[in-house]
Amino acid sequence: MKKVAYINNRPFAIEEGETILQFVRRYHGKNAVPTLCDAPNLDPFGSCRVCSVDVALEQGGKTKTQASCHTPVQEGSYIYPESQNIQKLRKNIIELVLTDHPLDCLTCEVNGNCELQDVAARVGIRDVRYPDGENHLDRKKDLSHPYMTSDLSKCINCYRCVRACDEVQGQFVLSMAGRGFDSKIIKGMDETFFESDCVSCGACAQACPTSAISDIFQSKAVKATEKTRTVCTYCGVGCNLEVSTANGEILSIQAPYDAEVNEGHTCLKGRYAFGFYNHEDRIKTPLIKRNGKFEPATWDEAYDLIVSKFKSILETDGPDAIAGISSARCTNEENYLMQKFIRAVVGTNNIDGCARVCHSPTALGMQRTFGTGAATNSIEDLKHTNCILVIGANPTSGHPVTGARLKQFAMKDGNISIVIDPRRTELAKYATYHIPLRPGTNVAVMNMMLYYIISEGYVAEEFVKNRTEGYEEFEKQVLATDINGMAKIAGVDKNLVREAALAYARAERAMSFHGLGVTEHSQGTFAVIQIADLAMITGNIGRKGVGVNPLRGQNNVQGMADMGVQPHQGAGYLDVTNPDVNGLYNNFYGRKVPSHIGYKIPEMFDAAIEGKLKALWIMAEDVVQTDPNTHKVRKAMDSLELLVVQELFMSPTAEMADVILPGASFLEKSGTFTNGERRVQRVNQVVAPLPGTKPDGQIVVDVMNRMGYPQPDYDPAVVLDEISQIVPFFKGIKWAELGKNGKQWPVKEDGTDTKILHGEEFKRGKGRFVFNEFAETTEIVDHGREFPFILTTNRELEHYNCGTMTRRTNNVKILTEDTVMVNPADAALKGVKDGDSICLISPRGKVDLKARLTDEVRQGVLSTTFHFPEIMVNELTGDVHDSEAKCPEYKVVAIDFRKSKGLVGRKVGEMVEVN
Amino acid sequence: MSKNLSELSGRKGLKYNLFDELGKLAIEDGTPNKDALAKAADEFLIGKANTYGTASFYDFMRPENKGKKAYVCNGSACLCAGTQDGVRTELEKHYKADEIGDMCCLGRCHENGAFHIDGKNYSAKTAAEIAQIATNGKQNGVQGNQDKYAIECYGTQVLTAPFPGVDAYYELLLSMIERGQDACLEDIKKSNIRGRGGAGFPMWIKLDGCRKQDADQKFIVCNADEGDPGAYTDRYLLEEQPHSVLFGMMMAGFITGADYGAVYIRAEYPEAIEITENAIKDLYAKGWLGENIKGTGFNYNFKVIKAQGAYICGEETALLNSIEGQRPEVRVRPPYPVVNGLFNKPTIVNNVETLAAVHYILEKGGDNYASIGGGKSTGTKLLSLDSHFNKPGMYEVDMGTPLKEVVYNIAGGFKKPVKAVHIGGPLGGLVPTHKIEDLTIDFESFAQEGFLLGHASMLCVPEEFPMVKYLEHLFEFTSHESCGKCFPCRLGAKRGSEMFHKAQNEDYKIDRELLNDLIHTMETGSLCALGGGVPLPIRNGLMYFEDELKEYLS
Ligand SMILES: Cc1cc2nc3c(=O)[nH]c(=O)nc-3n(C[C@H](O)[C@H](O)[C@H](O)COP(=O)(O)O)c2cc1C
Ligand code: SF4
Ligand code: SF4
Ligand code: SF4
Ligand code: SF4
Ligand code: FES
Repeated sequence: MKKVAYINNRPFAIEEGETILQFVRRYHGKNAVPTLCDAPNLDPFGSCRVCSVDVALEQGGKTKTQASCHTPVQEGSYIYPESQNIQKLRKNIIELVLTDHPLDCLTCEVNGNCELQDVAARVGIRDVRYPDGENHLDRKKDLSHPYMTSDLSKCINCYRCVRACDEVQGQFVLSMAGRGFDSKIIKGMDETFFESDCVSCGACAQACPTSAISDIFQSKAVKATEKTRTVCTYCGVGCNLEVSTANGEILSIQAPYDAEVNEGHTCLKGRYAFGFYNHEDRIKTPLIKRNGKFEPATWDEAYDLIVSKFKSILETDGPDAIAGISSARCTNEENYLMQKFIRAVVGTNNIDGCARVCHSPTALGMQRTFGTGAATNSIEDLKHTNCILVIGANPTSGHPVTGARLKQFAMKDGNISIVIDPRRTELAKYATYHIPLRPGTNVAVMNMMLYYIISEGYVAEEFVKNRTEGYEEFEKQVLATDINGMAKIAGVDKNLVREAALAYARAERAMSFHGLGVTEHSQGTFAVIQIADLAMITGNIGRKGVGVNPLRGQNNVQGMADMGVQPHQGAGYLDVTNPDVNGLYNNFYGRKVPSHIGYKIPEMFDAAIEGKLKALWIMAEDVVQTDPNTHKVRKAMDSLELLVVQELFMSPTAEMADVILPGASFLEKSGTFTNGERRVQRVNQVVAPLPGTKPDGQIVVDVMNRMGYPQPDYDPAVVLDEISQIVPFFKGIKWAELGKNGKQWPVKEDGTDTKILHGEEFKRGKGRFVFNEFAETTEIVDHGREFPFILTTNRELEHYNCGTMTRRTNNVKILTEDTVMVNPADAALKGVKDGDSICLISPRGKVDLKARLTDEVRQGVLSTTFHFPEIMVNELTGDVHDSEAKCPEYKVVAIDFRKSKGLVGRKVGEMVEVN
Repeated sequence: MSKNLSELSGRKGLKYNLFDELGKLAIEDGTPNKDALAKAADEFLIGKANTYGTASFYDFMRPENKGKKAYVCNGSACLCAGTQDGVRTELEKHYKADEIGDMCCLGRCHENGAFHIDGKNYSAKTAAEIAQIATNGKQNGVQGNQDKYAIECYGTQVLTAPFPGVDAYYELLLSMIERGQDACLEDIKKSNIRGRGGAGFPMWIKLDGCRKQDADQKFIVCNADEGDPGAYTDRYLLEEQPHSVLFGMMMAGFITGADYGAVYIRAEYPEAIEITENAIKDLYAKGWLGENIKGTGFNYNFKVIKAQGAYICGEETALLNSIEGQRPEVRVRPPYPVVNGLFNKPTIVNNVETLAAVHYILEKGGDNYASIGGGKSTGTKLLSLDSHFNKPGMYEVDMGTPLKEVVYNIAGGFKKPVKAVHIGGPLGGLVPTHKIEDLTIDFESFAQEGFLLGHASMLCVPEEFPMVKYLEHLFEFTSHESCGKCFPCRLGAKRGSEMFHKAQNEDYKIDRELLNDLIHTMETGSLCALGGGVPLPIRNGLMYFEDELKEYLS
């Protein structure tokens, strides 16, 4: 028999551990009990007391008034949610609230969408009987911040903002000050939003029931006529967004509470950085370069030029003289079309994507070990794990919503968190173990971890025996590791590494997360393999709360690779050199597709310089700015006969183009993005494309048709249908069935999706152990003596990569320039003070940047961002790539630095070439 | 009530305690400077808003406390005694007006005229005395720091028994460890002792609940934040019988598996802090604390935490937040402290007087203790009587002793006409003198008559003191001390005090229905017993002093 409790004397089944509020609302709806301090994503707090109900132990018995939001429902109790007593209580509480609240609803920003207003109306308040007394109506508005606003005269002291900042974002910007009647919300030490450490996630504004904390978009005002649910375009977390529009214009963005990915949270990029979409800088017409100058053109002119060029190059140089670079910013459908165009229409495998510069080693390393290059588990698994291992990632900046969750995890006692990163990142500050290794030595440190796990007997023997291969040889090699030597090379305390390794191994469930600090190295693929080895050797695969979980940089890197945007694998990761696969593709596309591997991005540049590559079509990527070694990239672009660039804004790459095609932003088109946990989610068009622009997918379709390949107009449902027939793990994905929260691939034909990979066996059968020894990068071997410091890169929360979009939003007002972090000891050595301009010198060039002294970086290491192209940090970076996946080594640059010698004739950040 | 803040503060725990550190930062200027607060926030990873928010809560840390050098007691007893205007006037001759602050109840309710200078309490009667203290304040041994009051026992001697010396007293620890946790708990259960801090909750239930928790760390917290104006029982125990309290905490630790005890003592009792600290030092020196005490395998350590001036810290969950360095706002329950207390670990919070009885119970047996008094109220009770009695002081009586016996015989009646005795602190009942004979010293009798035994302090409202002013004072006290978390108390106490103030000073009459609504809202709606409790004496006042009050009511 189910346990019951009574609501107004009628029995209802209760659930274990639920509160009276949850119980009553479950049966009678949200309106059955009013609340003010309660919020869907916050712990019960019990401050407003309007949720009070009467509870008796027997029918009609003596009642006690209890706050329903934090009182567990008791079996057999009699609950009266609306007794006379309760009605009176609620009304009297609200009356008290109104003695210290402005009574000017009609002019209030949230009029019509205010929880206080709703509750006041519900309890039937008519007037305030108290004589005039002290109040706080004269509090000043805070309009200091580019996004956040406050008007604390409207504050009802419900603490929702404080709790959101604490329990959701973990930033601790807000608190109360003073006590009792005079207690008031503060930011930092009673400062403005702008002066505080606020990261503008907007959680507090979304949580605030009144207009006391809001944002410049007035996101709680009700003038919106329509709300559209879509997916954020700024990172691989894939947050769901609810976009409000009126008359075809975007007003504001909120985070839906029922989103599995972000559970009512976003970061400032997702919530506030949408202002770029109708920015005046948007390119609104195709542009053709004539005599070195761009001239507006019609679509027909542009297409004609492109098609005729393509055709003539095809004729004279063959298909391999043409290449395409696709974009992780674009939808799955667009990526699919782009690679299809290159493969089936042009007839070459010269297709690659920007993942080359970030996560190609992840895909390769994990494929080699497991058979699939994707995250094995889901972010939700954080609720079930005991340990997190975060390597080479700064998720609180790069993947803010996941970062916030990781931080929440790390703060809790008993949870183990291990951060391996040269920098003392935000997460490292909270971690149980932080191993601050020298950049470029991940492989050394992870071999040490493997060594300790094996030598101290923490290997999950059963798992290794039943599920893996190659272990014996692997073990021998690991045990031969020179621990002291590796510790010295990496500059780490071996006992710390040992403790961390054993903590990871002992945890019942351990999840690993890694980012570009792992992949953007000469040994990137090897390091990924080791992360996978660590998971296998400890049995952390195929269950809830375990696994290997790469933190995908861009929003759709996963999807782009899934769709076949790489030169060696077609849609669905099928090997292009395999004759069966070739037959399958030929058949499916109805054209002959080549079976030799095409160029990777760096090879495209080489081929262009060598004159072998004549035409390049780049969809929404700024390779000049984001690829390493800018000189070389520019030279390659210059060597091309035809460079086509699809873009929203003029970029350094677009400037070099022969033809620019104006694409549409994610807010203006539909399709799907696949986030870092293989979740294919619907991107729904919010507003029509800006006049003169087209969805990138439509542009590709147009060119396909003009090249003589019949392809129906861009419609995600139709393209997705096509994809599901060729990509095995998309088999059961249908546009109409993706629902609000999407589906995690592989999706079976019947539509069931997969939260955890490799449950029973690996994609490739057995997991493969392979040992790789640490090898110093040639960058250090060749230049380390002359350039004794290491420059590494990091990203700041406020901007997205090179910032073409975020810099066209208010985000620039928050973070205005790139800086370089320098350890105070190193700075002292060079006589550099905080805020000084310093000159960074690499074997390839030099650049001036403003120094920020901090012990977040260790001695010998400097770290900088790359959001502002003026600085062109990539001028400094080298040409070293990951030996396997050809991902460039952004994370290790040998440099020296000195105080700038006065900026004679040049500005900070301006680049000067050497030799 | 932030889980995260509890965890982060818990990383450093009691040894390097956030609240303690914040307190130290305030010593020099009376309030921590912003740089120091920012540094502490960084060190504990909790954000500047939190260190600032915490500091701004407390009377002795908030920015307004900057530069304060002397404090005048503004507790109810000194108020009713009418001594404080004189004290302030006299002090103003020696300090600038803004160097003089308020302190609420220094525990000198038996002689009044209380004030605090440089970490010491005084009660002085004459201007000359005050002048002498103000000029020589920094020197020890100044007359007036020592106070005197009667300490007498009129029944079984449990709490006032003479102390036989450390080793003799702590012998019992060894034999109890030998007897084992179950047997000790059984005795506490049999004794039926109920908490003396106000709520009267059976001690054994908490011990049992905490014992059953599976946790790597547990804590015993002694609530010595005796903030009730009129109460100085805990002060007496800590100053005169510190070992009974410490022993009780150690036994609670033994029974529940906790190896750390925190004694949270209010800043208004500087002498109690010093004496308790010395007693602990003595225990370490004699090998009764630390690891593997006397080879028993039992470990125990103490930390004394000095409070910073906030009545609400006496509420147990606010107290836990306070130790953690969070704002001492009341937590919701569940989870209860025995499950999720200090730093989110299982924790026992008991009042000083409750803990002080443990030695007797374990030595003489639970049955023996239970045979004193009866029903729900077993054992003895300490009563603190203010200066309106002919014999002010500290009296230990058996539970069940008639109140009139205490008032008229033991304490020798009143010095001057008194109309009501406020028993059990500001949240206790306001007993009109004619009801004295209907009451006996026990939980049941007080509850039956519509009062509350509470901590059993007795504070007199003299005949000439206007009841309307006293009720205003109660609302104002609540408003000043409200943690501000819940709406009914934060707003209600303020509006209540405004209405009573207006009624005395302006052409305004309090709307009875509104006042009743207000009282009802606070009583049924408040989160804790501050907002929920003050309606009791207000109601008592309205009921028993209708004649006096009706001119203010419509
Ligand atoms: C506003 C308020 C103030 C309190 N002050 C004290 C106090 O000063 N000392 C105390 O022991 N208990 C105080 N309490 C009661 C405590 O919350 C708690 O019940 C008590 O410490 C438990 O100990 P006991 O079971 O030994 O009584 C107070 C409660 C409230 C609501
Ligand atoms: S915007 Fe985010 S970080 Fe800033 S105060 Fe609000 S919740 Fe905290
Ligand atoms: S600012 Fe808003 S959320 Fe914060 S306490 Fe005030 S009303 Fe509540
Ligand atoms: S975390 Fe990533 S996906 Fe989510 S809102 Fe921020 S940028 Fe967008
Ligand atoms: S009743 Fe007063 S003191 Fe208690 S929680 Fe509410 S506001 Fe705080
Ligand atoms: S919703 Fe329960 S007290 Fe506010």
